[in-house]
Amino acid sequence: MPPMLPMTRPSPVTRILAAANAVILGKSSQTRLALCCLLAKGHLLIEDLPGVGKTTLAHTLARVLGFQFSRIQFTSDMLPADIIGVSIFDRESGNFQFLPGPVFSQVLLADEINRATPKTQSALLEAMEEGQVTTEGETRPLPEPFFVIATQNPSTQIGTFPLPESQLDRFLLRIELGYPDHDAERALLESGGRRKQLPTLASCLDPGEFAAMQQEVAAVYSSPALLDYLQALVEATRQDARLVHGLSPRAALSLLAAARAWAFSDGRQMVLPEDVQAVLPAVARHRLRLVSGSYAGSEDIAALIRSLPLP
Amino acid sequence: MPLFAALKRWLFRLARDEQLPIVLGQRRIFIVPTRAGVLFAGVLAVMLIGAINYNLSLGHALIFLLAGLGLVAMVHTFHNLFGLSLTPERAEAVFAGDLASFPLQLDNARSEPRRALEFAFDGQPLVKVDVPAQGHVTVAIPYATSKRGRLDPGRVTLATRYPLGLFQAWSYPHPRWSCVVYPKPFRTPLPRPSPGAQADHHHGDSGQEDFAGLRPRQPSDPTRHIAWKAVARCADEQMLLVKQFAGGASDELWLDWSLTPPEHGHEDRLSILTGWVMAADEQQARYGLTLPGQQIAPAQGNVHRTHCLQALALYSESAP
Amino acid sequence: MSSQPPHALEHGAVPWLLTGALATAGPHAEHLPLWLSLLVASSLLWRAWLWQQRRPLPPRWSLALLVAVGVAGIAWQFHSLFGKDAGVAMLVLFMALKPMETRHRRDALVIVMLGYFLLLTHYFYSQSIPTGLWLLIAMTLLTGALISLHGGGAQPIMTIARQAALLLLQALPFMFILYLLFPRVTGPLWGLPEDARASLSGLSGEMSPGSISHLIQSGAIAFRSRFAGETPEKADLYWRGPVFDSYDGVTWRTATPPARLPRPAPVIEASGTAYAYTSILEAHNQRWLLALDVATSLPPEGSLAPTFEVLAREPLRVRTRMSFVSAVDYHANRIEAPAILQQALALPARINPRTRALASSWQSLPAEKIAAAALSMFRQEDFHYTLRPPLLGADAVDEFLFVTRRGFCEHYASAFVFLMRAAGVPARVVAGYQGGEVNPVDGYLTVRQSDAHAWSEIWLAGKGWVRIDPTAAVAPSRIEQGIVAALPEGEPLPSIVRLDATWLRQLRNRWEAANNSWNQWVLGYNPQRQRELLSWAGLSDPDWQSMTASLAILCSLALLIITWWTLPRRRRADPAQRAWQRYCAQLARRGVGRATWEGPLAFAQRVARERPDLAALTSEAAGCYAQLRYGRNGSENLLERLQQCVRRLPPQRP
Repeated sequence: MPPMLPMTRPSPVTRILAAANAVILGKSSQTRLALCCLLAKGHLLIEDLPGVGKTTLAHTLARVLGFQFSRIQFTSDMLPADIIGVSIFDRESGNFQFLPGPVFSQVLLADEINRATPKTQSALLEAMEEGQVTTEGETRPLPEPFFVIATQNPSTQIGTFPLPESQLDRFLLRIELGYPDHDAERALLESGGRRKQLPTLASCLDPGEFAAMQQEVAAVYSSPALLDYLQALVEATRQDARLVHGLSPRAALSLLAAARAWAFSDGRQMVLPEDVQAVLPAVARHRLRLVSGSYAGSEDIAALIRSLPLP
Repeated sequence: MPLFAALKRWLFRLARDEQLPIVLGQRRIFIVPTRAGVLFAGVLAVMLIGAINYNLSLGHALIFLLAGLGLVAMVHTFHNLFGLSLTPERAEAVFAGDLASFPLQLDNARSEPRRALEFAFDGQPLVKVDVPAQGHVTVAIPYATSKRGRLDPGRVTLATRYPLGLFQAWSYPHPRWSCVVYPKPFRTPLPRPSPGAQADHHHGDSGQEDFAGLRPRQPSDPTRHIAWKAVARCADEQMLLVKQFAGGASDELWLDWSLTPPEHGHEDRLSILTGWVMAADEQQARYGLTLPGQQIAPAQGNVHRTHCLQALALYSESAP
Repeated sequence: MSSQPPHALEHGAVPWLLTGALATAGPHAEHLPLWLSLLVASSLLWRAWLWQQRRPLPPRWSLALLVAVGVAGIAWQFHSLFGKDAGVAMLVLFMALKPMETRHRRDALVIVMLGYFLLLTHYFYSQSIPTGLWLLIAMTLLTGALISLHGGGAQPIMTIARQAALLLLQALPFMFILYLLFPRVTGPLWGLPEDARASLSGLSGEMSPGSISHLIQSGAIAFRSRFAGETPEKADLYWRGPVFDSYDGVTWRTATPPARLPRPAPVIEASGTAYAYTSILEAHNQRWLLALDVATSLPPEGSLAPTFEVLAREPLRVRTRMSFVSAVDYHANRIEAPAILQQALALPARINPRTRALASSWQSLPAEKIAAAALSMFRQEDFHYTLRPPLLGADAVDEFLFVTRRGFCEHYASAFVFLMRAAGVPARVVAGYQGGEVNPVDGYLTVRQSDAHAWSEIWLAGKGWVRIDPTAAVAPSRIEQGIVAALPEGEPLPSIVRLDATWLRQLRNRWEAANNSWNQWVLGYNPQRQRELLSWAGLSDPDWQSMTASLAILCSLALLIITWWTLPRRRRADPAQRAWQRYCAQLARRGVGRATWEGPLAFAQRVARERPDLAALTSEAAGCYAQLRYGRNGSENLLERLQQCVRRLPPQRP
């Protein structure tokens, strides 16, 4: 932990992270980023190879936060109705009756979202964006809070429909898990997989506590000096000749929200440039495409950060 | 002369500017008298001899005032550049033979305007601009392109003689700038749609994905486009509605390197492909591009076109 | 860099060039032939019309023709193409015709440079305050032309003018420094052309009837003097000029030197008050320096002639400042060389018989009585003092004494000396100035050409040369009150000396005092004054090295000040930022530098890893800084703590 500041106060974040890290070994910064994403009311995209623990992370977070959880395994023959739900004609009442799909839950784990067709993907993403579902002219609100944690295989794998850039923008953060380190992997091998712990995991939050935390996150102070820095970063991406596009205004808002959550998770009431730097790769990498066609790598983001001096 | 080159590099800082924005400090502004400045000094010397000879006290004063004017002009010329902040912006891709323009945003924090700033790449046309007080201006520095690929324009020469033209101050900002230069398009007839594309079209019904609205059915509309649910909901109007889709189906083209006439040179074949891409895009066709060792799946739209053109522009770089 | 094609001339720069040309060439119309002025004016007007109509410039051959005509005209008018006046005329001609073929910026530059050069030529004719001011305006115009040529052409006129004026204003300090300290060389470097000296007004080397009364109509200042102590009585203010001892019946001249040989040094026995004074003498292109009669102590440049006037080595070509001491009561040359006495008795043969007859009737009397008799004749007979005397014939003195009896000082002096010589008393005519007026503004006694006067001197055995002023016998008020009081209304006196209105007189006094200071301190700044100034500043006996050094130092100082002045004001970093930067710099010296992009807490964490000994302090400093800069409310308290952190850093390890 960083040194205690005058404004530092104890945080339930510590409890959540401790509980989650007990399940997911050796991924503390990813867990924290994932939590920050939810605190900032954003959707999370986890991208990595199969089997590195994407689903476990999503599931663990839902459990620890005590949310209602549902999971969809995306496949190429899936239809939008499989997510949103279908209307069935009820002969007795003479009406169409709506059967809600898995999207009507607080945390939706969309596993391997890039296996579904673009049509199905967009149905989910619209629900993410609007916070509501419209079918046959009727609008149905989704529960509060509503998070999508999508996992995705790297699009280089065969038989996938990579999410287009416009859709990627709807995810606040995108994180990569990577292989566990040596010790974590040994612990994993010794304990024989983590998933079996999941059903026993209990929520470590009181009802309503998460909503209060979200409110506090939104109230974390960002000074003019910080906003200057953030704007400079965003402008630098727009003017970087190696990139096809810069960050959009929506991305800038996302960056600020994520930085607020990160600062909050560090127990601070103000955003520091460090917070922005910490979340920038997760915010920006899936939004910035290099002229060469690939998405920006972490070293591109690091170079970007280094190009902006801080007084 | 490696020593001279090293001296030049040290003096003019021929490295790239990595930190943005580029702020012109005194270390990187150079100043020398112009020919007019030398003429001015010569005139002053002659005047001084005259004033001494004829014992003209006021003549001395005049000459000294002019000498002071020269010194002050030097300071002003220097200040015309000093503290100017430059931010390079993205250069839009162009076709070979066109004029690429590299936009540079100039920020003037001073309360006086900066005037008559001249920008040019080495050996390229010059562009003049004024920056208002506490304002900013974006200047597009031209570069005449000749061959495709990634164009690195090199350093910019930013010079000014304002106010009196007795001194020239200049600086060599060298931002990391590049511009993709597409091959010069050769307009030749498009190849015919490939059989594979036909088959794909047959079963994919692609290009008809985007729902655009409903309209009353006309007799020629296929029955599978009738919006039955909508019709059921407003059955009393006795009218059939059809779903309308944007971007009607079109032929799928494969623009293949092997289709270009092999008797042409490498660059000419790329130019022909470029011409095809442009033509296919104008016809709003779905097209894919095949280059040796590289393939871009069929699609359409601006992003796709850019993707294809970039592949063509950078082809030899990425070739194995 | 300079291998670009010639820049086309900006349309907006042309009016600047034309007004600049007009401002620099225009005032020369005063001393140029009319045809040339007309040629210049029409050429400039034509160019302005072409500019306004956006018409093409005339073909080169027509210009060549105009140049040829102009040069031929100048050659015909001045009989030369070189020399001062012809040179100026040539420059003006080129200045007027060059705009006609100005197509590129390069040509326009030539016009501006020519303009700057033409500015200098004005000083051949006048270096007065108005000239200086006018040339400042012309210079602003030329500088504005330069600005409009180099990218300012599109700006409004006033913006360019303001910019030009600002540049000149900033150049002024350099002018002062250079003016005071630039090592001065006494000119001329080579022989001046014949016409370098304009005809200057002043006493001439001979006196004929009408020469002084002509001079007297000029109000120009002859010299100014300031007395160190009290000013002598007005009646004693005889400023001695040339002494005339040779008469041909019409004109009095100074005897040619061989007649005077041998030349014994004059012996002057002075008594009474010694008046010390400093005079600023206007150039008059003659050798005599007008000292109060009679000078006892001379400036180093002067020497006392056998006839007691002070002579410079060279004719006085520039305004010169000199110090004298004079005595009013004196005996001069009680023993005189026979050659001089002989010259003082010489008269042309056969003229003025009636005068000779009168004189011979007095011959038996002692010399003093003869003089008294002559003066009482002037006093008692019906003699008039006037600037407009009737013309005199061959026997001028006879006609004056017995017929017309109207004359000016030269008539009286001439007649008196003739009488004396005819009666055997050695006598001569002295020209000079009499009187003067004290300017209350600066205390200088101003002596004008209108104060020119002629009197006579007789030699008495045992007493030496004694001044006798016959004019005083006729018009005592001339001596006591000045020329204005002595002459009746309607005489052609210059209006500047006849100012009745007090306020006008005051205005004149002020203007003349200003001019005097200008002349003394600005124009009169010469190598000698420069030496005085430098030794006052502590640089006694300065050589050119030390002068150049001090010049360079002062100029760079001024340059620095101007650079700083025009420097864009940078926003000052806030104190928290400065303290943090200081702290980071201190840490960098201790081996842990903060990367430019590193935030405070990240840095503190790194310091904790790399230098655990500095961890606590850095953490505190970083926390304070983070709160101050990024927090909601940074208090003074925090700032103080941050600043203390900087001080509390342990001393550097060797």
